[in-house]
Amino acid sequence: MSRIDASQDDLMRLLIAVSHEDRRAFQQMYELISGRMYGVCLKLAGQRELAEEALQETFIQIWHHAREYHSDRGTPLGWMMTIARYRTLDLMRARKVRQHAGEDQLEHVEDQRAGPLDESLRSAGATQLTGCLSELSDVQRDSILLSYYKGLTHDELSQALSSPIGTVKSWIRRGLIALKRCLEK
Amino acid sequence: MKMTTERIESLAAEYVLGSLHGRARRRFERWMMESGRVRQEVWYWEQKLGQLSAEVPSVEPPKSVWQAIERRLWPDTAKSGARAGSGLRWLWPSWSLVATAAAVMMAVLIVQQPVPAPQLSGAIVQANVSDPLWLVSESGPDRLLKLRSIAASAADAGKDYELWVVPEQGQPLSLGVIPAGGVHQVTLTDEARTALSQSRTLAISLEPVGGSPTGAPTGPILHVTKLYEL
Repeated sequence: MSRIDASQDDLMRLLIAVSHEDRRAFQQMYELISGRMYGVCLKLAGQRELAEEALQETFIQIWHHAREYHSDRGTPLGWMMTIARYRTLDLMRARKVRQHAGEDQLEHVEDQRAGPLDESLRSAGATQLTGCLSELSDVQRDSILLSYYKGLTHDELSQALSSPIGTVKSWIRRGLIALKRCLEK
Repeated sequence: MKMTTERIESLAAEYVLGSLHGRARRRFERWMMESGRVRQEVWYWEQKLGQLSAEVPSVEPPKSVWQAIERRLWPDTAKSGARAGSGLRWLWPSWSLVATAAAVMMAVLIVQQPVPAPQLSGAIVQANVSDPLWLVSESGPDRLLKLRSIAASAADAGKDYELWVVPEQGQPLSLGVIPAGGVHQVTLTDEARTALSQSRTLAISLEPVGGSPTGAPTGPILHVTKLYEL
């Protein structure tokens, strides 16, 4: 992970080269970030085939759109990871992939307390966003994290959290607004 | 639609989260294209929520992914695929296969293109040409399909480019000959419009001057592109 953190400058250089159609730079960039990107696509899609396709689409898009990157979009890595999430979500919606809360239910059968959200992701989320997630209620935080990591729709969330869809929507909406207020402090 | 700050904030956040979908998502994307303020809000959330991705463990993708990317971006077969058409009459059933093999075409979603409310949009691009050849946008109410030439070069002497709607089934519908430069508009017939809204697929073939004499493509298919709904 630190390898990536240390290499934002490298990624910036590579992205500029890619915008000038430098194939070698493109391949280097792929080697540098495809593992992380595939991890996110796979977590989101919950299936390899779709995640592989999303990864492919993402890099095709990066090749064609590298010059559209600018610093308002965040770090080069952040920008590219955002593209990967959108492409994965697009494919999931197009294929009507039904998401459920997790394969984690199989991996952690013994841990009933974890609820629908895998514990590692919950604690991961807590350390990010400068601790603001911990200021949300449990249900607000879990609905946001399940949407983010697993791509659950309102409908799927309502099933995963056994709550009416209107309630789930308002958890997300209020949770996000509360999150922003906290981040702005 | 009224743009209160809170509304922009929560829609942008839900857009980034992915919980905004279907029509609402498309409406929001259009809104993003029209408003810098909305885009800024989306970028804000992309950066903030994007931090969550840092916690997902890396997984090595299979080698086949990179190979597929290379095949799509730099198909060695592209040239031979395009040449194969000359002199031969194209057989439509094999067309999509050839198009895929040639793979010189890739539809890309053009974001931040300040076109007022197009319904379908896309680009005709060619591998190894950095700019799109043509940008395509459709505006629903006035039934116009607009092609804006960016990097297209003139057809060979004695030839014209002809634009086609490729329906999901049946023969392609001609939209006439298109120039290599400038902006070209075509008014869609009901039939063409219905076919396009279903298949979202356009093609460009190389024809004798004035267009295909038979009403069906006779020359090589140079480009196939799938448009995106905005």
